[in-house]
Amino acid sequence: MISISNLSVAYGAITALDDVTIQAPTGAITAVLGANGAGKTTLLRTISGLVKPRSGSITANGHALIGERPDAIARLGIAHVPEGRGVIAEFTVEENLRLGALGAKTNVTSGLEEQYALFPVLKERRKQYAAQLSGGERQMLALGRAMIANPQILLLDEPSLGLAPLVTQDIMNTIKTLCANSGLTVILVEQNAKSALKISDFAAVLHVGKSIAVRPAAEVAADESLRSYYLGMAE
Amino acid sequence: MSGTFKRLAWVLGGLVIAMAIASIQSGTDAANLTKAGAYFIALVGLSFLTGWSGQISIGNSGFMLVGGYAAAFWTLHHPGEPVVISLLVAIVASAFVGLVLGMPATRLRGPYLAGMTLAFAVALPYVPQSFAVSTLGGSQGLTITPLSAPQWFSHLFDTSTTLPVVINSRFTAMVSVLIAALVLWLMSNLFASKLGRAMRLVRDNDVAAELVGLHLGRTRAQAFVVSAALSGLAGALLVMVSGTASPSTYEFGFTFSIALLTLMVLGGIGSLGGAIIAALLGVYSMQITTWITNHTGLGPTSWVSNKLPNLAPNMENILFGVLLIVTMIFAPRGIVGLVSGLRQKLISVTRR
Amino acid sequence: MIANILTNRIVNDIAGGASQGVIIGLVALCLVLVWRATRVLNFAQGPMAMFVTYIGMTQMDHHVNFWLAAVISMVVGFMFSALTEIVIVKPLYHKAEINPIVVMVGMFTLLEAIASAIWTNIPRYPTAPYSSINFQSSGNPTGLSPLSTFQIAAALAVMTFVAVLFNYTSLGLKLRASALAPEVSKLLGLRVSRLLTLGWGIAGAVGAVAGVVISLNPGGLSPNMLDAMFILGFIAAAIGGLDSPLGALISGVGIGVIMQLINDYWNSNYADMVAVVLLVVALMLRPQGIFTKNSARRV
Repeated sequence: MISISNLSVAYGAITALDDVTIQAPTGAITAVLGANGAGKTTLLRTISGLVKPRSGSITANGHALIGERPDAIARLGIAHVPEGRGVIAEFTVEENLRLGALGAKTNVTSGLEEQYALFPVLKERRKQYAAQLSGGERQMLALGRAMIANPQILLLDEPSLGLAPLVTQDIMNTIKTLCANSGLTVILVEQNAKSALKISDFAAVLHVGKSIAVRPAAEVAADESLRSYYLGMAE
Repeated sequence: MSGTFKRLAWVLGGLVIAMAIASIQSGTDAANLTKAGAYFIALVGLSFLTGWSGQISIGNSGFMLVGGYAAAFWTLHHPGEPVVISLLVAIVASAFVGLVLGMPATRLRGPYLAGMTLAFAVALPYVPQSFAVSTLGGSQGLTITPLSAPQWFSHLFDTSTTLPVVINSRFTAMVSVLIAALVLWLMSNLFASKLGRAMRLVRDNDVAAELVGLHLGRTRAQAFVVSAALSGLAGALLVMVSGTASPSTYEFGFTFSIALLTLMVLGGIGSLGGAIIAALLGVYSMQITTWITNHTGLGPTSWVSNKLPNLAPNMENILFGVLLIVTMIFAPRGIVGLVSGLRQKLISVTRR
Repeated sequence: MIANILTNRIVNDIAGGASQGVIIGLVALCLVLVWRATRVLNFAQGPMAMFVTYIGMTQMDHHVNFWLAAVISMVVGFMFSALTEIVIVKPLYHKAEINPIVVMVGMFTLLEAIASAIWTNIPRYPTAPYSSINFQSSGNPTGLSPLSTFQIAAALAVMTFVAVLFNYTSLGLKLRASALAPEVSKLLGLRVSRLLTLGWGIAGAVGAVAGVVISLNPGGLSPNMLDAMFILGFIAAAIGGLDSPLGALISGVGIGVIMQLINDYWNSNYADMVAVVLLVVALMLRPQGIFTKNSARRV
């Protein structure tokens, strides 16, 4: 369970998040939707400690996160796959995965085995540099590197960015499976509302720094006004 | 300030300084002032490069060497010609070297540039020492008749009470301060000019500079040329006054490049007023150091100095090293920045 | 036949030049390590190494043997460099590019002055564990002595250690990650700040080895003994590319050999100038170094 209350963040004079309150229940996928510049990335960066908020509180499984360093937050079991995946291009696939285990101090050997079983393509390419992977493979590597840390909470920033629709669908299904199998709490930030809503249990919408609704995903998907105004899903 | 008033202020300020110099009693003080003028010009040269165009150089002593040798060489072969020509020759020669070094340098960023200029400054003294020994004098260097006070100047003073040496020093001090004032005036105009604005844009945001159509390389190279020309002028001035240009001249070695960088940072990077403070600081650093050590219980008779007899001669560099580090971390805009910060605070307090 | 080769003038120059070149490469390696970890060019690398070499080597006056003195230098070198990073370099990350350069120049001035105040400018000559008389081959001297062989071996051993540490250990993986991608590393739970300090510490220990090895040269141990070596090390690192440890070693050896040949066949005063000319030419051809992969500059 991750609970964000009255969170406000500003970069200098520019307000990025304004009194945002969002709850993401344990074992569920909560989508945070919104247009470019709505503050979605800032929200995740604040949760993982990269951005210091002006006010508000964030608690994850009973731990207050604000004021903690990013690496300490990561070691609490909160994995953050940043925008653009954040795989280290100069490292091989295996080095990237090992790094995930080293950071979280989990067992490297068994972790590698698990992730290779989950993502066979990573095993095939384990000696290749991450720079040589396709976009979808990089996203799998980023997911694998996050999962090798045995997290309880997974923060995903635009996993569909730059991916073809079929690949996006594939990645989304993987996320759904991961969540169902391990009781993971997921916050999924997406501009691609349609694909995100398909796999999410709950959804919140951010609009210019304010949170508008935290409701079951199906309700949000059916809400005509949200669809056309904020999500750009007019069909 | 209106134009006329500004001009009047310059003239009055010049007169006050001239009268002050004319009344200096000690030859050492006058000689120090001469040096301060040259240091000011060299500091403005460095400050222009680093503070305005954002390029760092630890090699400006090399340009000073080029200017100094060019002036000495010209004077040696054209005795009796006006000093101004020697100085112009020095400016042209060092500007040319600045262009040659500036071309590859403009493609380099921060540390590469700093290292390359440092290597230039370290290697350059070997040139007159090893090459063309017959024309450049090898390790002895070149010796010329130093600048001396003309008849009309000496007549202004009572030669029965004032030593000719002192009159001479007063004359060189006046020449040096005059040239420094000229540089100050030129550079303050340059700052407001199109080139000055281009420099600042290149420093602050090179992408934006390119978008508005500025040629980055050319603007950076121009900064190098201006910086080299000023350094060369400073080197030439020192040589014309002292009468010698040699590979071992303090101002021509890479340690002086480091000293220049230190002084510039202490005064305030990119500030003309800071350069004046820094020049005086450079000339009087020994006296300042002695004063500080004597007033902090580190003087020659103290316990520490008994333990470490070699401390005193190194005190200056220890102090400057510490000051440089502390300044950069806590007051990166130097003395000028501190003063203007203090003034801002005072203004805001009085307005409240 | 073999005897002829071993005592051949050019072969001797190459051997002698390579032994100095490996040391240049070692100095270059320190610069590369610090640069890769924190994007700071440590202008005080030479004086820092000199300072800790003094601290270790002067223990030999108190009946400490050479090996222990060298270890003291390395340990102090590690701690001193790490402390420097914590106290004066950390406040400067994310500041303008020139700020750390200026601060390290200040460190340069400060350390040389303190060393001169404590130990004076008169060189000291630590007793080397090996003879500096060149090996003989059929009555003629070869290009190497037991001492220069030891110097090469020490430098190569340190480089191998660093290469293995960075490329084949978990710690090395973490160190490289914090240098390449500090933010991602933090998100993975790495204590990046601590790892960067460790990176500086390792560079400091490597620098101490360079200092100890150089103090056994004929010039001995003096406050400015590493100034020239630093310039050459920088030239090697810049030609090789500040991101490439192997490039630093190769160009270090190259510079050492070229300078030895110039010394022997031409004039020792020209050697430094040639090194600078090499640097200028190399930087004009490839401003990012010869051994680094071409990559877009980050805006």
